[in-house]
Amino acid sequence: MSCREYIQRVKEVALRECAILKSTPIYWFCMVVFPMLTMIFFTSLMHEGQPQDMPVGIVDLDNTSTSRKLTRNLDAFQTSRVVARYTSVSEARTAIQRNEIYAFLYIPKGTTDKMLASRQPKISFYYSLTSLTSGALLFRDLKTISTLGGAAVGQATMTARGYTPEQIRTFLQPITIDLHQISNPWTNYNIYLSTMLVPGVIMLFIMLITVYSIGTELKFGRSRRWIQTAGSNIAVALAGKMLPQTLIFLSITYGYMYYVFGILDFPHPGGTSNILLLGLLSVLAPQGFGLFIFGLMPSLRLSMSTCSLWAVLSFSMAGSAFPIMAMDAPLQSLSWLFPMHHYFMIYQITIFNAFPLADAWLHAVALIAFAMLPVTVLEKLKNAMINYVYIP
Amino acid sequence: MEGIRDACHVWAQELKGTFRDEGVLIFFIIVPIAYPLLYSWIYNNEVVHEVPVAVVDDSHSAMSRMFVRRCDASPDVSIKYHAADMDEAKAMLSRQEVKGIYYIPSDFSTNLNRMQQTAVSVYCDMSLMLTYKAVYQTAMAVSQDMNSAIQIQTLGNTTDREDEIATRPLDYEEVPMFNPTGGYGNFILPGVLMLILQQTLVLGIGLSAGTARETNRFRELIPISRHYRGVFRIVLGKSMCYIMIYSVMAAYLTLLVPRIFGFVTMAQGPELIAIMLPYLCACIFFGMTVSCLIRHRENVMLLVVFFSVPLLFMSGVSWPQSNIPGIWQGVSWIFPSTFGVRAFVRVNSMGATLGDVLPEYRILWIQTVVYFITACIVYRYQIQLSRHKVICRLQHIRHKREVRKQQRKFIQDSN
Repeated sequence: MSCREYIQRVKEVALRECAILKSTPIYWFCMVVFPMLTMIFFTSLMHEGQPQDMPVGIVDLDNTSTSRKLTRNLDAFQTSRVVARYTSVSEARTAIQRNEIYAFLYIPKGTTDKMLASRQPKISFYYSLTSLTSGALLFRDLKTISTLGGAAVGQATMTARGYTPEQIRTFLQPITIDLHQISNPWTNYNIYLSTMLVPGVIMLFIMLITVYSIGTELKFGRSRRWIQTAGSNIAVALAGKMLPQTLIFLSITYGYMYYVFGILDFPHPGGTSNILLLGLLSVLAPQGFGLFIFGLMPSLRLSMSTCSLWAVLSFSMAGSAFPIMAMDAPLQSLSWLFPMHHYFMIYQITIFNAFPLADAWLHAVALIAFAMLPVTVLEKLKNAMINYVYIP
Repeated sequence: MEGIRDACHVWAQELKGTFRDEGVLIFFIIVPIAYPLLYSWIYNNEVVHEVPVAVVDDSHSAMSRMFVRRCDASPDVSIKYHAADMDEAKAMLSRQEVKGIYYIPSDFSTNLNRMQQTAVSVYCDMSLMLTYKAVYQTAMAVSQDMNSAIQIQTLGNTTDREDEIATRPLDYEEVPMFNPTGGYGNFILPGVLMLILQQTLVLGIGLSAGTARETNRFRELIPISRHYRGVFRIVLGKSMCYIMIYSVMAAYLTLLVPRIFGFVTMAQGPELIAIMLPYLCACIFFGMTVSCLIRHRENVMLLVVFFSVPLLFMSGVSWPQSNIPGIWQGVSWIFPSTFGVRAFVRVNSMGATLGDVLPEYRILWIQTVVYFITACIVYRYQIQLSRHKVICRLQHIRHKREVRKQQRKFIQDSN
């Protein structure tokens, strides 16, 4: 075949694929509707950035102006809202079990008296860690309030003795911590989670749709026609078939990236070129992975099951929530088999932190390798398409 | 009586189908057995220890070295490198060798000795919340410890008790509840386990319905057999098969898996049974309803798999339930997993009683009833559809026979 003929064949197969995509509604749903729904779901779910006004309870047995001030200060925090007062600790615990509050502050009787008499009273705060997000945030508030409660006493004494505010500050906190949260100074969970979960779902769909579109050729007995249209050249057949899908997925991925980085303005100091590169890799790698899996086991049901199980596991193995370095050693090595892990690494190194691409090159190579994987199973795929018969 | 016999026939047929179809077998048996083990393994280490951090110590003083030593001694942080300047430390951050930087300015010790406030700069890589927390909280804790020591020095009190009171006039105790390790596994796993039950059930039921359509003569869900006449006997027969398999799976997931890996299990027998029964029933009838709406078996996978992660978020495990926007709260009511996860987390991890999860418990039963009715409606429609096909086919055959008779008569007459 000459070069022009190749292009002609690819075009024919691509046009045929376009007709299939157009006539089957499931493609429309899985390639456009669901990815967009997922994108809107996650970004709108966490639009607050950090959960705000989470319900907190108070067990105030002291009931003095000092203890009430503590309560008021806690209520004034952005993340906490005092919604209820309880008469005992066990009552407050039951409230946590009923999901009415996530944490509570316990001020025992005589706290103020003891404080005035310098007898070191003790208050306690209880927080539920069944949800790490709310637990960690409320812990921060409650700890601050408790520390400040103590500091207020010291401050009052020192002011009375005639120290300057500067001196008091230095005495109470000689060493301070100057925190720099690189790229996400708001500790915004939307920036942290949506940038991984949405591409994860898009990559999941790319894998599944790739396998599905090849497998249904066999299932509906169109595979021989398809190979014929491509002039019995499997590479041409695949190129033509993947081309329209790649274009659609690319536009969805770039659309998502435009939405989060352009419209919602999530931090992306790495710049547009890195975003474009990552978008391209994140479409080609799962496509390659899907084709490879189908080449290994040319049965629609088995390869789809494998891909979906793999993709669901990816959300954990990407290492964006629970870090890879904290997992057992075998899992650390296995994480290299998940395209999403490499996506995460490239994203956070080059786009989120704006470090040079050279520091993520191994991950970029890995994604390219995933995209190239189908080369190893071309013959097997062709054989399957011509000789296999679909068994329900 | 006949109805029960028919239901039992459907039950047996469905059970045979389950073990004959490898797709269904994967999702009914293999995934519920293997996935919980896999997830438990992934999250088994629970917490992040020894997060690598680089130090840029421009102070080079006894105080700054003490700060670094104490950070290194903490369980969560390990001082991996001493960088000469910030650029070098930044390069290490870029190469993923460290997850944070402690920068101690040159006037650190001088300021302290002059009784002036001084600051340690902490730079955190924010791509991982858990490492950020470890890096920041360790620096915080060490600085507070050192602050107390400095205060005691300045005050020059005579007794230890005086020192204690001066540095901490109001003592406090922090009590993390229901997750003693503060670990990731204890937090995410109960939700994941419940979700695995629902997703594999819906996938398995959908796949087996798909297979039934493909092996059927008229590409319909309901086979033509005298056992498949009534809606109730079909729905009940099939659900008996599913609940039989999933009682075992649910017991394995809720009782065995957490114990193997030492995750929190505070659930009492009666409570567990009380919430698992309506949860399984709701999932089964939900799955049966969904399975009728999908024609091709592979489409089930396309539709169900991607829901897993959004469903986990809607249940309020990762993102607190009180902060889920109203519209998504509404959507979450469709799925049994939302309430199954909530009830299970509270009963299993918090030791709640049935009275504490009463709202979830009630909704699960309401879902069971509602999805039972919808399952009956869609199955009734399917029965009518296949009956219609049969009648059409019969008429077609009769019509052909009639035509042939007439032809024969015509030939005889013309002869």
